[in-house]
Amino acid sequence: MISSINPSIKAIAVLIPGIMLGFTFDVFTPLLYFIFILIVTFTMSDIPISKWLKFFSPFLIVAASFAWMTILYANQTFSYGKVLFTIWGLEITEGSVITGCSLALRSLCFVSLSLLFALTTDSTKFMLSLMQQCKVPPKITYGILAGYRFLPSFREEMEILKQAHRIRGVHRTKGIKGKLQQLKRYSIPLLASGIRKAERVAIAMESKGFTGERERTHFHQLTVQKKDWMFLALLIGGLAVIYITSYYLGYLNIFGKQF
Amino acid sequence: MGNQWKLKEIVLMSILGVVFGIIYLAFFLIGQGIRNILAPFGLAPFGYEIIFGIWFIVSIIAAYIIRKPGAAFTAEVIAGITEVLLGTAAGPGLILSAAVQGAGAELAFALTRWKDYRLRVLVLSGMTAAVISFAWHLFYAGNIALAPWVIVATFAVRVFSGALLAGVLGKWISDQLAKTGVLRGYALGKELQKQREQGAA
Amino acid sequence: MDMHLERSCKNNVNKGQRKPVLAVKDFSFSYENLNKPIFHQLSFELYERETTLLMGPSGSGKSSLALCLNGLYPEAVEGTSSGSIFFRGKNIRDFHKGEINQKIGIVFQDPDSQFCMLTVEDELAFTLENRKIPNAEMPKRISAVLQQIGMDGFQKRKIHELSGGQKQKIALASVLLLEPEVLILDEPTANLDPVSRLEFIRLIRSMQRQFGITVFIIEHQIDDWFEIADRVLVMGSNGRIIADGEVNTVFSENKNRLREEGVFLPQQFDDCLNHQNSKSIPTSFDKVIISIENLSFKRNEQMILKNMNLEIRHGEFVAIAGENGAGKSTLLQLMAGLLKPTNGEIYFQDVFLHHWNEKELRKRIGFVFQNPEHQFITDTVYDEITFGMKLNEESEEKIKSTANQLMQQFHLIKHRHSNPFSLSGGEKRRLSVATMLDETPDILFFDEPTSGQDAQTMEELMNIIEKLRENGTSIVFVTHNMDIVDQVDRVIVLHQQKIIYDGIPDNLWGRKELLKKARLCLPYRMKSHDEGVPVYDLVY
Repeated sequence: MISSINPSIKAIAVLIPGIMLGFTFDVFTPLLYFIFILIVTFTMSDIPISKWLKFFSPFLIVAASFAWMTILYANQTFSYGKVLFTIWGLEITEGSVITGCSLALRSLCFVSLSLLFALTTDSTKFMLSLMQQCKVPPKITYGILAGYRFLPSFREEMEILKQAHRIRGVHRTKGIKGKLQQLKRYSIPLLASGIRKAERVAIAMESKGFTGERERTHFHQLTVQKKDWMFLALLIGGLAVIYITSYYLGYLNIFGKQF
Repeated sequence: MGNQWKLKEIVLMSILGVVFGIIYLAFFLIGQGIRNILAPFGLAPFGYEIIFGIWFIVSIIAAYIIRKPGAAFTAEVIAGITEVLLGTAAGPGLILSAAVQGAGAELAFALTRWKDYRLRVLVLSGMTAAVISFAWHLFYAGNIALAPWVIVATFAVRVFSGALLAGVLGKWISDQLAKTGVLRGYALGKELQKQREQGAA
Repeated sequence: MDMHLERSCKNNVNKGQRKPVLAVKDFSFSYENLNKPIFHQLSFELYERETTLLMGPSGSGKSSLALCLNGLYPEAVEGTSSGSIFFRGKNIRDFHKGEINQKIGIVFQDPDSQFCMLTVEDELAFTLENRKIPNAEMPKRISAVLQQIGMDGFQKRKIHELSGGQKQKIALASVLLLEPEVLILDEPTANLDPVSRLEFIRLIRSMQRQFGITVFIIEHQIDDWFEIADRVLVMGSNGRIIADGEVNTVFSENKNRLREEGVFLPQQFDDCLNHQNSKSIPTSFDKVIISIENLSFKRNEQMILKNMNLEIRHGEFVAIAGENGAGKSTLLQLMAGLLKPTNGEIYFQDVFLHHWNEKELRKRIGFVFQNPEHQFITDTVYDEITFGMKLNEESEEKIKSTANQLMQQFHLIKHRHSNPFSLSGGEKRRLSVATMLDETPDILFFDEPTSGQDAQTMEELMNIIEKLRENGTSIVFVTHNMDIVDQVDRVIVLHQQKIIYDGIPDNLWGRKELLKKARLCLPYRMKSHDEGVPVYDLVY
């Protein structure tokens, strides 16, 4: 199960393929890898498909609009091949369509890799693992957790602010300047109370003997096991195999160069 | 990064990540609106470029308030990690992007040896963050495949957004915050206090 | 259970050989420079196994003192200090970083900003990790401390889903895991409902007995505490200790001085308070201002209020009471038209609430929020007060004169150019009320306006309310303070989505079962004043 993989290793396992995908400009490689991630996601984790789709679907539109822009405005290196059609005087070539689709698929790979991580990782464990495996100083990891804890209270505060503004008749202010003021009226009280909370919680933590010292015992002892390395090897190896396949089939395109 | 920071400064950076994570969503809707208008012309991504500067604001606010070397970079990375924790669809890739942007923002402060926090430096910081993050996206998002004029145009919009939404807005928000008195324990609040005392004397 | 007896025994034992645990010598502290100290040349000692109360008006630096005592200040705020503090004879500056914190534990006021982890067990483990306790031992210790505070089985619960009282108990538990020699409590019950407050105090007493910890309590309002205190210290607004001694002596000898300083006197020593219903206002109210019919309200599919019927009349002073989460604030927001009912109807002056024109409605209905800062939207006090009038396009002259009159009445003149956020707690509270009074509203809602306020601010607030009532404004008040409930015309008690009591306060105090169910306690005047009996037995 992916949720039991060490969070730091998992983060590396989704980061490296993300960077490596940045080199390809053909359709075949990212498409295959996208399918590969989907298989990994739905065979090795228990993320419900409906939940996954809820997060994933908005990015289809983003990816599509990005593809469309690339198709219209691809530069010379990437607008190879024959002209397929013309729109607003712009010639759409085979190459630009391929590049557009490739970039769209690449961004879908990023999104699905991110979801694979975000939907299977416990936030506290991720921080603890950054501390225990990646040697991030405890001051940073616990500091982040302390700030992150306030998320629900900020949501509540936003609601109250909305009501208080209504009482004061704020929504009746007019014009762009009024709207700009609006931003300030939300952000300043939220930030001001956030800063006060930051100070208070930092003091409370220090009053419990927290010094930021690296040497400490761990309630949740996180370890790196064989299965974690196997997962890392799976995600990176998968991409390598796909790269090689697409090279032999003649699809591979790196920075506009066909191999 | 590590021990030169006080715990409260790190918690502050994390909280900035949470608050601007929320505010970014509000801006995202604005970007979405602009995008919908531009979409049929294939210019949709410009919609996001316009609001891109908001991504860098945490760097500028943190650097301006805390005034220590590394504040812009660390704040952006911490905000990035916090946003990953917030869930949604942000994965570890966001931390990487945040590090790149933070390094960009830090560049301007490094150039002035972390001594100058006037508006012009903050604006410059927003712009350097935009430049570096743009270079990163040429590779990471494949923007390099676009026609030169589109690249130049998106670049210009992003730099402009960085200067305005990160530099100018960041300074303005920090100054407003300082007036509330909550920054008393930080460099910016202390500087204001000193000015006030000198003014009174 | 005879606490009085026990205390006198203890005092006898201690007399003559009281061992100081903490000694403060000529200690001054300030945030910026020592010319404007928060407190000045303090000298006092805390003795082993004793419980000492520190009181003083808000802004007198009590909380800063707590943080100085365990060595976090002045470093954490880059403040400056002079003089010294000794823990068992050793200057606290000579301890290693973090070492003194483990000997002196603090529970803070705000239940929401003293945790860094999401779950109870992780938070408690955080303390143990700081102490480098081997992790095999942790579960045992965690479950033991939870047992002590009566929250066994809460290990996996999320902290932000707990009630205020439970959060404070967890905060106490995490401090107890330090096995501290001194326990400092910084207004730990200011945000709790009456029963949770008494439960917390009872818990402190039993911990003190069990472990013989030295306890130092910082409080505005000590009525519930002073039964467990051996000694009381009073800090004046000048930052000095103005009284020090046994509870009874301090209050009988310094009564007037303390009152001038804005210190809450324990009610047993306070002969000024009038606990009768204020009779100056005619008590016959016939015209209905708000009427609620079959009101139900759901939030996220969860029923908050169910089939509620209620009328508020012109000129009435109504209190809404009930435990945390009973829906008091929700009811207030519904009546003010800030939320829409899921079912049922609300009429304001015989017209559907949601048929009212928003602008007209906001003129007639005022609402004071629990946290005054939420209401602030401009940069200066003057702009804040004139905001509504400018919006309503009043004449320049009227704006000026009304603003001046309000600033005068609320003692805000000298702050007219100040940023609202930079005011003190009491000033913020006054400003938040002032912003609602540019037009005299027909009805004014208050959502727990007195929590965490000192005696003076509270008295001022009650005076303002008295004045408003003379002008015929109805007042609806959500509060945990039973002494305020005791003064209103009518009290409404909420429990599990329903109104379980609606009538005059006097009749409520007799209904013991009902009080117990709604987690309310009696107002002070109703409690028995026999010295020897612990106050907790009279809760229900």
